[in-house]
Amino acid sequence: MKSQRDFEPKIVGFLCNWCSYAGADKAGAAQTTYPANVRVVRIMCTGRMDPQFALKAFASGADGILVLGCHPGDCHYKEQNFRMIQRHRLFLGLLRQYGIEGARCRLDFVSAGEGDKFARVIAETVEAIRALGPLRRRPIVQPNEEGDLHHGDSRA
Amino acid sequence: MKVGVYFCRCGGIVSDKIDADEVHRRLVRLPEMGYFTAIDLACSEEGKAAMTADLAQRGPDRVVVIACSPREHEETFRAVLANAGINPFLMQMVNVREHVAWVTESGQTATDKAFHLARAALARVVHHEPLERREIDVSTDTLIIGAGPAGLKAAITLAEAGRKVVLVEKGPILGGMPVRYEEVFPRMECGPCVLEPFMAEAMHGPHAHNIEILLTSEVVELAGSLGSFSVKVKVSPRYVDLTTCVGCGACIEPCPVSHPNAVNCNLSTRKAIDFAFFGGLPNVPYIDPRACLRLAGQEPACELCRTACPVAGAVQLDAREQVVDRQVGALLLAVGSSLYDCGRLPELGYRRLPGVLSSLEFERMAAGTGPTGGEIRLSDGRPPERVAIIHCVGSLDPKHNPYCSGVCCLNAFKFNRILGHKVPRARVSHYFRTIVAPGKDECDLYQQAASAPTTTMLSYRQIDELSAELNGDGRISIRQDTRIDDYDMVVLMPAIIPSESTRQLAHLLEVGLDHRGFCEELHGRVDPTKSKTRGIYLAGTCQAPMDLARAMTQAASAAGLIMAELVPGRKLPIEAIHAEVDADRCSGCRCCLAVCPYKALSLDPDREVAEVNPVRCVGCGTCVATCPSGVIKGRHFTNAQIFAEIEGILT
Repeated sequence: MKSQRDFEPKIVGFLCNWCSYAGADKAGAAQTTYPANVRVVRIMCTGRMDPQFALKAFASGADGILVLGCHPGDCHYKEQNFRMIQRHRLFLGLLRQYGIEGARCRLDFVSAGEGDKFARVIAETVEAIRALGPLRRRPIVQPNEEGDLHHGDSRA
Repeated sequence: MKVGVYFCRCGGIVSDKIDADEVHRRLVRLPEMGYFTAIDLACSEEGKAAMTADLAQRGPDRVVVIACSPREHEETFRAVLANAGINPFLMQMVNVREHVAWVTESGQTATDKAFHLARAALARVVHHEPLERREIDVSTDTLIIGAGPAGLKAAITLAEAGRKVVLVEKGPILGGMPVRYEEVFPRMECGPCVLEPFMAEAMHGPHAHNIEILLTSEVVELAGSLGSFSVKVKVSPRYVDLTTCVGCGACIEPCPVSHPNAVNCNLSTRKAIDFAFFGGLPNVPYIDPRACLRLAGQEPACELCRTACPVAGAVQLDAREQVVDRQVGALLLAVGSSLYDCGRLPELGYRRLPGVLSSLEFERMAAGTGPTGGEIRLSDGRPPERVAIIHCVGSLDPKHNPYCSGVCCLNAFKFNRILGHKVPRARVSHYFRTIVAPGKDECDLYQQAASAPTTTMLSYRQIDELSAELNGDGRISIRQDTRIDDYDMVVLMPAIIPSESTRQLAHLLEVGLDHRGFCEELHGRVDPTKSKTRGIYLAGTCQAPMDLARAMTQAASAAGLIMAELVPGRKLPIEAIHAEVDADRCSGCRCCLAVCPYKALSLDPDREVAEVNPVRCVGCGTCVATCPSGVIKGRHFTNAQIFAEIEGILT
């Protein structure tokens, strides 16, 4: 079995086009190296970030989610990142019910000029998820013939 | 469905780190993979030409471009697709330069990450739909609300460019507030002299035929969006015909009714038919229907004014209110602001003690066109000997208005200069909290006041330190802690606040208000003259407290933006990436309406379902994620596309 140190988490980054994706581009232009574990999905605004995207990512094998948007007050679309902040708080409650640690879904803010911060947030997130280890998934719960919900016995 | 993949080596920058052959080998296993072509520098003229020819020849169903950031070259490659006869939205870029090659240490890791990103793009792009960038015909006309300095400046600028303008003014005259001032700071030019050329130009200048002026008028209904607004304007009767009246004033003297003249802050009276004030333009009297005996129903037969008028048909006692429709492409809101009610600080004596004036009352008293003909005098007719000017009345004060209006200090020093000329023996005390006088000329006005031998500068920390009472000899005692000084006139400098018209119009036009109640701009620093509602622009103090110079600059800015956005003969492109509601499945819950700051969503009143105005929609996708029924589609960022991308990135 691999030790936790060898574990390379898979993380999906949802980045808004205007600030955070530009911040990631800035880190690139500055050739700041950072771990390759975060794979980016570009959305126009974190306001578009549907909690289903995070659930889909977890279900498809992600160990962590990173949502990066404009700083509060700087949203290209005025105030839509506040909608994401609200949704994120609710989503953490939902994750708890799934037994998934809140730290696996990080929300942060990176401006177009913050290439360094982008690289730092990536490195921190990868370390945090690595410390948590791989996401343990359970089979989807199906009601039995009596209609009761029973968890599957596999906890792997 | 076959996807054509183009891998840009970026002159070696990408291919030195990422093994293009390895990415190719791994992509080939995917069912949607059509062909793989590596190009040296895809964004170069040669690269684009080669790609265009290749695309035209092979005709793939979808295209993936593995290259740099879409923020840099998405439009470049969309144009390449369009030139090859392929819908530009059937392409997805993979950013392997900024997000992989430049930031990953090991080549092997970089190649693996590049493959996963490319795999995600292939999975996504098969869900892409061809989108059209629609274009609509637009009206290039503008409706301006408010004929103060900003409204006039914008109207004249647009008219000079050949644009048609409808200038709607609530009051009976042009010029807004500064036209009522004797002088404007910092150079002490006379207010009417500064503004009269603008008013004359709007009424009779070489481009005046492009400006339709509607006085005593208000916007009552608005529909549509940028390029095609439909506006209803209620035109109340003036009862005097603007075109035939010669302005002789013969109608005034016979009128039996006098009532307070609000334009002069009720410091003088006017007849029911009268001019607003001497020199107000247009030089045509108007009837206040609430004061007129005939129109108010008290003397239905009175027609003394009509009888006295030497021009047949100029006095129109039977005129009726009309509602007119105007079709325009843009609106400019320039309705000005109000002053904070000094009565909200009762300690300062406003409306309680004689001789306590607001800044506007002092302006009118100082004005040659005002109630005293410009004579500064007390109620008994004597000139004041000692005048107190209290700054920051309701400004910089969390109990009233926390902000600084930015113009009151300069106005106070202007009053200092006016007093120095008109009542040279008067001694003036300024009670100030802090002095705000930025600008290249403005400091002179402050220096002149501060160094005048007749002027005293007295500092206070909080306005509650000051209180005004009448003393035994009929003068006003201002107490500050233990210090008591006597004055015979006190001028209060209230904060500039949003007006009631601003609130009403903002609601009607669906223009947002900021947390202070001023019209909210698209961006305070870079777009202060655009509202968040596309096609509605802002100028002057309805957006923020400001001086005349800034209001004029904003008006010219708004006019320029309108000219750039609405060009005669050019259609208005509509962003292809916008939201779309599936009306058949919409429950009409209105959640989407609440989250859209651009007012792009509205409820169809008949079907009770949400609908998107694609001209207003900016494609942020917040409503898509908000819709509890999942029936709003974010074009080019659909759930299916993003789900496929997530799956592709992880497998």
